[in-house]
Amino acid sequence: SAQKAIIRVIPFKLEPLTLEGVFASVAEVMPAEGKLLQFHPLSLCNTSEDEHTVPGFVSIVKLERPQRDLHPCLSLANKAKLAGERGAHAVLFDITDDESAADQLSKPRGLSHPVVLIWGHDAELLMGVVNNNREAHVKIEVKEMPAWPDYDVWI
Amino acid sequence: MDPLSPWWLFLSFSGALKIASMEQEVAPSCPPLCHCEEDGIMLSVDCSELALSSVPDGLSPLTAYLDLSMNNISELMPGDFQHLRFLEELRLSGNLLSDIPGEAFSGLYNLKILMLQNNQLIQIPAEALRDLPNLQSLRLDANLISVVPDKSFEGLPSLRHLWLDDNALTEIPVKALNNLPALQAMTLALNQIWHIPDYAFENLTSLVVLHLHNNQIQSLGIHSFEGLHSLETLDLNYNELVEFPVAIRTLGRLQELGFHNNNIKAIPEKAFAGNPLLQIMTLTRAGIRLLPGEMCQQLPSLRILELSHNQIKELPSFHYCQRLEEIGLQHNCIYEIGADTFRQLTALRSIDLGWNYIQSIHSEAFVTLHSLTKLDLTDNQLMTLPLGGLSGLTHLKLKGNPALSESFSKESFPKMRVLEVPYAYQCCAYGACGNFFKVSSQWDSEDISPEDDDGHKRTLGLFPGHVDNHYDLDLDDFQLEREDSKLHPNIQCTPSPGPFKPCDHLFE
Amino acid sequence: MHRNMSQICPGGCATCSEYNGCMSCKPRLFFHLERRDMKQIGVCVSSCPPGHVGQRSRERNECIKCKADCEACFNKNFCMKCKNGFYLHHGKCLENCPDWLEPNNHTMECNEIVH
Repeated sequence: SAQKAIIRVIPFKLEPLTLEGVFASVAEVMPAEGKLLQFHPLSLCNTSEDEHTVPGFVSIVKLERPQRDLHPCLSLANKAKLAGERGAHAVLFDITDDESAADQLSKPRGLSHPVVLIWGHDAELLMGVVNNNREAHVKIEVKEMPAWPDYDVWI
Repeated sequence: MDPLSPWWLFLSFSGALKIASMEQEVAPSCPPLCHCEEDGIMLSVDCSELALSSVPDGLSPLTAYLDLSMNNISELMPGDFQHLRFLEELRLSGNLLSDIPGEAFSGLYNLKILMLQNNQLIQIPAEALRDLPNLQSLRLDANLISVVPDKSFEGLPSLRHLWLDDNALTEIPVKALNNLPALQAMTLALNQIWHIPDYAFENLTSLVVLHLHNNQIQSLGIHSFEGLHSLETLDLNYNELVEFPVAIRTLGRLQELGFHNNNIKAIPEKAFAGNPLLQIMTLTRAGIRLLPGEMCQQLPSLRILELSHNQIKELPSFHYCQRLEEIGLQHNCIYEIGADTFRQLTALRSIDLGWNYIQSIHSEAFVTLHSLTKLDLTDNQLMTLPLGGLSGLTHLKLKGNPALSESFSKESFPKMRVLEVPYAYQCCAYGACGNFFKVSSQWDSEDISPEDDDGHKRTLGLFPGHVDNHYDLDLDDFQLEREDSKLHPNIQCTPSPGPFKPCDHLFE
Repeated sequence: MHRNMSQICPGGCATCSEYNGCMSCKPRLFFHLERRDMKQIGVCVSSCPPGHVGQRSRERNECIKCKADCEACFNKNFCMKCKNGFYLHHGKCLENCPDWLEPNNHTMECNEIVH
């Protein structure tokens, strides 16, 4: 099963939130942190302009239902790659409305910045922070998998 | 009384001050729902997006900026703005105006910017524009204009920028454009113009930018561009030209020329004899089969040449294009590269020869290219690659050359970042396939972003359809620009070796 | 519950959503990505904000950036009004006027020298 991610969201002057997501295997599984910045899905296209934001942020992209974007300018894997090349230390995809996203981001591409999928209530809380705050910091950690108990089993 | 005479200006200014002083006790009036901001004694008034159906009352005479855009105004009354003697910018875009009465803008002697785009005008409101001596920018784009009366712009001696794009024009309004001595930039794009007559722009001696893209232009006169002594940018993209527009030879200051997506077939000899300053040329999808032999002798300043998606078989020598930096030749019918093709182009950084039929490349072909960093030979018929001159490469793409089976030594490409080769084992030729470089799985066809095979999207220049004004790079190219700050130096080599694409040495 | 497109869209949007704002515009309006602190939303406008120009094409109309020294441009390379500290001449923003021209510090333009 996919590696779980702990997402600590620290809004400016508010209580931190701890959410959970899953690392997508399109990229490396590794921790990352940075200032949280939302990106419109159409901002991650070759023809869209780079905002030249100071590198080192964490992107959050709320994906819309596929029927709303019939001719995507780039595949999700390439959008994740482009976000990294434009300065993102990590990319969070809210896939609540796009169930196909998980499959699209499951093929290893060796992207050097982590890509984390979030959905449902955790995603709603995260997008709530984005909507209601001016600034927030995000820490992404690799959730420790439970160690296997010691069984003396011989085949 | 001449509206510009100092005496008149003094009177109206003092009159305005008198009104202002009377209003001093009372803040300058701001129409209900509008947002007003003071700028010294002047006022900026924003009444946009308020579902207004007419110009609001109560506008202060000290209004310098008035935004009435994105409302439901379908009619202007004569004198609506008569008391706004200091108005400099009036925005009426995004309303329902189908006509404008002659007196609508009377008295606006200081108006500099008038925005009427996104309305329903069917002809130029010539009467209303009759007396705007200081107007510099006039936006009439995105209307339904098919008629341009001859005297449309008579009263606009200061006009510099004119937007008539996205309308219903079927011909160049030659007479109307006859008396605009200050005009510097004009767009007639996205209309239904089919022909440019001789001397169409004869008096536009200050014009620097002319956009004519997305029309149906099939033919030009030999003298169509006579008189455009200052023109630097000409955009004829997305038209139906079937012959090379020789009329460009009168454009001595031309720097940027585009006529991609036309059907020109051949470029005649001496085609660019009159354009020594040309720097950027976009000829993608222009139906070109033949390039003139001495083309570069006439183009000493050329930096970027985009010729992708044509039917070019043979290449001339680009030797005399000494300042050439980027050349796009992908998706043509080229079968060989000679010793002379790119000889001594010391500024050349990027060559794209993907999707051709290249079988042989002369051993000296790249030797003198000291600045070359990117070479794309995807999908050709190569059996071997001459390495002379390629040591500076950071991007090399050789995928789709099935007969190219040789392995490359690491020393051949010391600065390599992105390497695409026909076979996985050629990635292993760099030693351990593990940590030295991080492999990414093969660039799957379904993953290829839609624009990768749409060559013209990778063209350049500022013309609509290509947003950037530098070479519109694909994703790996972005990597080059940000390589140090973000990605630690590793080579991305595809196809990546794996269980079913073994390195030879796994079996030794 | 889908927070999706069925809600009332602002201004010139054809489709929109709660978090991303406009996803597509009504015909002939320009699509613009607006950054508001952490948020980035799509808006549809009839004229682009300062520092941007509306670029029309068959496929789409969108706002693109002018050059860094330009406040209002006709296209990416032709400026109509420079930012503070620059003089305008024939679509270019210059820190100083060339010798054969005269700086006008009121209009911030380089004018022909009148002999």
